[in-house]
Formats: sequence, C-alpha cells, structure tokens
Amino acid sequence: MPQDNVTTDATYRSRIEKLREAMKEFGLAAVIIEPGPAMVYLTGVRWGRSERTFALVVPEQGDLGFVLPGFEEMRARELIRPGADIRVWQEDESPYQRIAQILKDRGIAAGRIGIDPSVRFFIFDGVRKLAPQLDYVSAQKVLKSAGVDAAR
Amino acid sequence: MSDPSRRTFLVTAAVGLARIAVAEDSTLPEAIRKLRPMTGGIQPISGGERQARIEKARRLMRENRMDAVLMEGGSSAFYFTGSRSNEVTLISRAGPGSWSGKADLAPKILKDQGVSTGKLGVEERVRFDLVDQIGKELPALDFVSADPVTAGCRMIKSRAELALMQRANDITIACYRAALAGLREGMTQVELSSNIAAAYKALGVNGDAMAIFGKYTAFPHGSIQPQKLREGDLVLIDDGCTVEGYQSDVTRTVVFGKPTARQREIWDLERKAQDAALAAAKPGRTCESVDAAARKVITGYGFGPGYKVPGLPHRTGHGIGLDGHEWPYLVRGNKRALEPGMCFSDEPTIAIYGEFGVRLEDCMYITEDGARTFTKQSPAIDQPFG
Repeated sequence: MPQDNVTTDATYRSRIEKLREAMKEFGLAAVIIEPGPAMVYLTGVRWGRSERTFALVVPEQGDLGFVLPGFEEMRARELIRPGADIRVWQEDESPYQRIAQILKDRGIAAGRIGIDPSVRFFIFDGVRKLAPQLDYVSAQKVLKSAGVDAAR
Repeated sequence: MSDPSRRTFLVTAAVGLARIAVAEDSTLPEAIRKLRPMTGGIQPISGGERQARIEKARRLMRENRMDAVLMEGGSSAFYFTGSRSNEVTLISRAGPGSWSGKADLAPKILKDQGVSTGKLGVEERVRFDLVDQIGKELPALDFVSADPVTAGCRMIKSRAELALMQRANDITIACYRAALAGLREGMTQVELSSNIAAAYKALGVNGDAMAIFGKYTAFPHGSIQPQKLREGDLVLIDDGCTVEGYQSDVTRTVVFGKPTARQREIWDLERKAQDAALAAAKPGRTCESVDAAARKVITGYGFGPGYKVPGLPHRTGHGIGLDGHEWPYLVRGNKRALEPGMCFSDEPTIAIYGEFGVRLEDCMYITEDGARTFTKQSPAIDQPFG
C-alpha cells in the first residue's frame, strides 16, 4: 500500500503563519473555523461536525485555541498537535463561552472576527451573544488569500 | 425539480443491486448474506402532513415574533418540503406555502414578502456565508435563531413518523443480530463496521455503525487506534439506519467469549441506569430529570459524580428523528417538559478509562402514560436482544 503523504509540523506552522499574515493585512483579530477542509489544511485535525461544538480559534497573536466536548478530550488529543490551547466544555456548559474566553485571553476586546463561511449559524449566534462588541465578518477572502481555499 | 417517482425507482434499483452484491459476497458472514429487504409497505410522509407542518411553523412564528424562517438544504428543509435539494427554503409568516430556490434570490423574495426589516429566523445549520450575504442586502433585518419554530415542529412526532422510526429500529436490530453472529477472533473494528454497512444494504436501507473493541469501549466515540478482537474483549456497536429520512440509533455491548464478574457487574449497572431514565421519562417531567435519574444510579455505585470518569461522561440522551441527534436533549440544565410524541435515545454510557466502557442504547417515544422503547432492551450481557 502506498504511504499517505505525511504533512510535517513545520508545514502546519507555516500554513498558520501565512494565515496570520493575511489576517494582519485584512485587519482580523481572529478567525473561527469548524471541522472541515480548512481545519484539516491548517491543523491536520479531521473531526465530524455534530450538534456539539468543536471549533478552532486562530488568533492573530498567541496560541491556537481548540474548543471541544469534555468527553471527547482523549480522542481529540490523539489528533491535535502539541502546543494548542485546548478548552473543553461539559454537556451542560456553553461552548460559546469557551470561544469568547479565548478571544478575551488573547486581548481581543474590540475589532473584527473572521468567520469561516461554512460555520453554522448556531455557533456564530452563540458567540456574538457573548461578545456583541466584536464585529463578525466573512473570513472567505482571508482564507483564500492564505491559500486555505485551494485545499477545498 | 426532479421527478420523485423516478428518483425513488433509481434508489430502489441501486439498493436492489447492492443487496445482490451482498448475497454473493463470500467474504461476508453467512448470517449477513442471508438477510433480505425489510422495506415492504413503508408509508412515506404525505403531502398533507407536510402542509400541516408548515401551518404549525406559521403559528410558532407568530408566537415567537418571527417574520420568516430561512433554511438551507438539510433535515429541516426536507421536513417541510419533502425535497433534498441544496436550494434555499423560506417560509414566511404571511404565507402561503414555502419558497425554494437559488440563494442569490433569497433577499429579493424576502423583500417581496415584506420581510426587509423585522426578524428572520435562521435554521441552526445555515452557513454563516448565506446570513452574511443576506445581511449585506437587507441591513435592517434582524437575524435570530429559528429553533423555536423548526425544532418546535420537529420534536413532536406524528404517528406516521413514529411508524417510520419503528421500521428503522426493527431493521437495525435485524442488522445487529446478523453482525454479532459473525464476530470472529482477530477481526478489526473496521471489518465489523463494514459488515454492518453490508447487512444494512442487504436489508434494503442505508446505515452504518461504529464498532469499538476492548479498552477503547471506554471512549464513547471509539478510537482511531487499530483494534483486533480477542477473547474476553467487550464489543460495542452503535448507530443506525435511515427509513424515509428517519433515523434509528441503537447500541449493544457484548463480550466476545465469557464475561468476567467485573464486566457483568458494570453491564448490570448500565442496564439499571438505562431503566431509571426510561422510568423517569414521563410527560410533564423535565428533560434534565431524566438525565438525573440515570446519573443517580451511577453515582450511587460510587462512580462520577457529574461527568467524571469512571462514570457517565456525557448527557443521557438526545432527541432523534430526521437527524440522529436533534432537539431536545436529556441534559442537566434543560428544563423543557417532556411531551407525548417526543423521541429520545436512552444511553447512559459507563466509561472506565484504561479498562472498558458499557453502553446500552434504545430509543424511546413519550406517550401519555410514559415512555416506550422502539426496541426491546438487551436483557443480559450474554443476551443482546430481548
């Protein structure tokens, strides 16, 4: 059997770096991404979407944040590269609070947040209710400019 | 618009061919090759029922002060229109009927229906992109969650819906019987999963299941680590199939070989927790009280508390219908009262990391008198089917 092409940690780091450069250019303080091709391209993490929020927060500065269900932590850690800031939410807790907290912890109190165009409404709605002072815009152009779109 | 009768014919023909392929595949266990379709006499949801759903949606829109509801292709749109197309669907409070078409046209349709201001309910899975585009064209529009309308309709099942779910559950039990009869030493979790998918094809439907062996059964959704079945391993299979869009979801946990005293004890505890949730699921009680009932059995044994493992690391159950997981959820904090016609999974997993996990899952529907399961619960660790 042919070996899968192994993407190295350095490659993922450079992809994130490229995205951050584009974010700087477009004036985005962070980008929020759901499981799918963009998450795989940027982090190698393949995860199925469900009603349970699993999100990647790429801040312009500081560690990547992953927000995921508490009972999936062990399974998720099999996939997530070391160095990420993993925040779990339990079944009766709010995943949006975790996302909003990551933004706050990265010093993002104002400004524009890019939303991956495929993010589902309930996640965007949950976050904007907890952080209404932020401006939510489509991350489509930023992702495309950083070459993320090409992976789709 | 595609011709639904032609589509049905093509799907039936494709499933028929797949079934013949299963029957002739000598690599599959005999119990699976012997399966025959269980799809005779299925009654699809009628046009009249779909129209009544739209009327109910309008009533809920009035009660929740929404002017229109926006959906993309998916379960909610299918629920109201009967179409699986990728088009955008709008139901406006003013009526009549529903509109489906290209996303670019949605702002114009909303404007024509007088909804350029006011509240647009957005179905939970609509992509941000579409909301953003409509917002740019209709900046005075307020976007709110459509859940009170979409979930408000979908969470109460009609007799016709319950009948379709019953069939999906019956098929899943037939599938699992055949799949568990074909367990063999050294098989991988992937092989068991594909046997289950093949069994569903032979039964005339689409379905699949996750299979987990040994210590990985402690992870509710399994592990990517390769697993080979060994004597004494726990085997957990979980998921379901689809009948006219309606889902089944069943989990069985068995031992390959003779159960140990420890496996038997934890399995029995799991069954008691499942029973407690079933007994608590009465109309008028809250969703969270059902979760609390199962959890009480598990913490009473000394596990937990809360989501701590060893114990029950997730909610006790989820709603089920056109989606495998849908509103409402049996979870702490959910004060919604149970009503006749609601359907839930009852699956209070007991996870012991490093050792094993046990999950029994049967789905239940709420009646005036209490909850009834679609499937007979597993009576004992060595008897997966009642």
